[in-house]
Amino acid sequence: MPIVDMDALTELFNVGLHRAAASLSEVTSQRIVVDLPKLWLLPIRDIEVRLRELLAGELATVHQVFSGAVAGDAVLLIEQDKAASLTNLMTDGDAGQGGRLDESAREVLAEVGNIVLGACLSGFGDMLHLKVTFSVPSIHVDSLGAVLQALAVESNEDQFAVIAATRFRLSDRAVEGYLLIAVGAQSLERISSALTLHGG
Amino acid sequence: MAADVTPADELQLHAAQACEMGDLLGVGVIAVNRDLKITCCNKWIERSSGRTAAELVGMQLQLAFPELRTFAIAAFERAVQGSAVLLSHGLHRHLFSFAPPSGLERFANMQQSARLVPMTDGALALIEDVTERVAREEEMRDAFSRADAANRAKANFLASMSHELRTPIGAIAGYADLIGDGLFGPVTTTQVQHLARIKSVAGHLLRIVEEILVFARVEAGREEVNLSAADANELASSAAESVEPQAIQKGLELRVSLGSVPIEMWTDQVKTRQILINLLGNAVKFTPSGAVTFSVMPLDESGRIAFLVEDTGPGIPLHEMERIFEPFTQVDSTLSRSHEGTGLGLSVSRKLARLLGGDLTVASEPGAGSRFMVTLPLISGGASKRKLSAAQVAAEV
Repeated sequence: MPIVDMDALTELFNVGLHRAAASLSEVTSQRIVVDLPKLWLLPIRDIEVRLRELLAGELATVHQVFSGAVAGDAVLLIEQDKAASLTNLMTDGDAGQGGRLDESAREVLAEVGNIVLGACLSGFGDMLHLKVTFSVPSIHVDSLGAVLQALAVESNEDQFAVIAATRFRLSDRAVEGYLLIAVGAQSLERISSALTLHGG
Repeated sequence: MAADVTPADELQLHAAQACEMGDLLGVGVIAVNRDLKITCCNKWIERSSGRTAAELVGMQLQLAFPELRTFAIAAFERAVQGSAVLLSHGLHRHLFSFAPPSGLERFANMQQSARLVPMTDGALALIEDVTERVAREEEMRDAFSRADAANRAKANFLASMSHELRTPIGAIAGYADLIGDGLFGPVTTTQVQHLARIKSVAGHLLRIVEEILVFARVEAGREEVNLSAADANELASSAAESVEPQAIQKGLELRVSLGSVPIEMWTDQVKTRQILINLLGNAVKFTPSGAVTFSVMPLDESGRIAFLVEDTGPGIPLHEMERIFEPFTQVDSTLSRSHEGTGLGLSVSRKLARLLGGDLTVASEPGAGSRFMVTLPLISGGASKRKLSAAQVAAEV
């Protein structure tokens, strides 16, 4: 596995989440803070065990494919009921009422995922001085098994994942979510060398 | 020739196609170039904004739609740089504030969500009118909360009804007993006979009320499961004993085949017995002559046990096989007239079996009798003694 400066990577996510929080606060006209309590880097085959420790039940996921200098999959994972309460808080009770992820709540969650994933990944782009672009976000409510299946890539290249535990804090409430960035060895190598160059 | 096509031409071509497609699909389309100048829009936009494409094309996006918030403009900037962006209805309810000169209320209150899709040298905004969807969701939410309120009312009704119905029936039977015992003066033989009839009818009414209440409690998810250790053979044998008098009265043979050794179960004994009595009672009720066979069989390695009730009754036609588990159903209307009951027995039994993590199935052929099988887990709902509500058990199964 490529050696990655985890402190620098954490800082990169921190900056990204700070930007995301600013965007979310602007859109919702309320103060939203997005923290980064913990970050893990691991081979993709090991993510199932880790995610099962972190998440349970049905998950709401926002999935985006990104391409450019670094390419891969970016997923925001939140337990379904927490996702509903997050959208409820963000829309002043309009969406996600009664813990249900209806179409309006899903759309809001997709936008939140779009903002958070975009802010974190564009950090890589800025750092590498190269463009990273994203597909339209797609939202799913699924079991963890189905989420992992959607991430399976048929490739000779080793696959890795960065899992970032996040916390959305607003209106005296905190909702836990997880960002998962899955990349191939080559992309991770690029991130690693850029971190050494610019971060260290 | 292809080399002569500039990115701007390409954007224009794709945008024109998207506009046409948008009109077919009822979606608004606006194309902008790298400088956020509108290069194209479709008829949907013209209709909603009350402005013509000729007016809008060439205008800076912010000038054409001054109500767009900085966040939306920033989103367009990200899109022209290559990243797709979603602007949800929930966070941008009146994204493009359409107030056409025609003054149509519909447009002025239109709720929108938009997808910004990057294109070569620009971006496309696909705007969807979600007013109706949002209204529909609102209606559904109302319906849900009304249903919730109705459910709560039903639960309260059940709690009070179980008391209100049982108490007077108990009083009827009790007073009949007291009168029969001569407590209020001497009674004649005929009066004793009538009093016995009153008691028997009251008992029957109490059973029907109980059946309806169990059904309603299970339906409302309020039936509780009380788990304890029991011997399956003992449960079966006590159920058989309680229907034996009816079988003897009808001249039916009741064959009971139990396991040779005790079979320990961790289950709700009252409910298991109730299911078995229901099935045996039904078999006796609907079998005019012959025998009712009752057997207990542990199912190897599956951790389950099966209770089988077979009869030599008229059988059930194939098309009625599932219908018999629906509430208030008896197979034949001519039969239902000659066989009293609520038609809830099988429905309640199946619900209870499922509540305990098992099931109730039937195999039958007209003229060849019926075979009801209850399968139950040997250990219901975990290894420790606890109380579970129906909703919890349903979630665990």
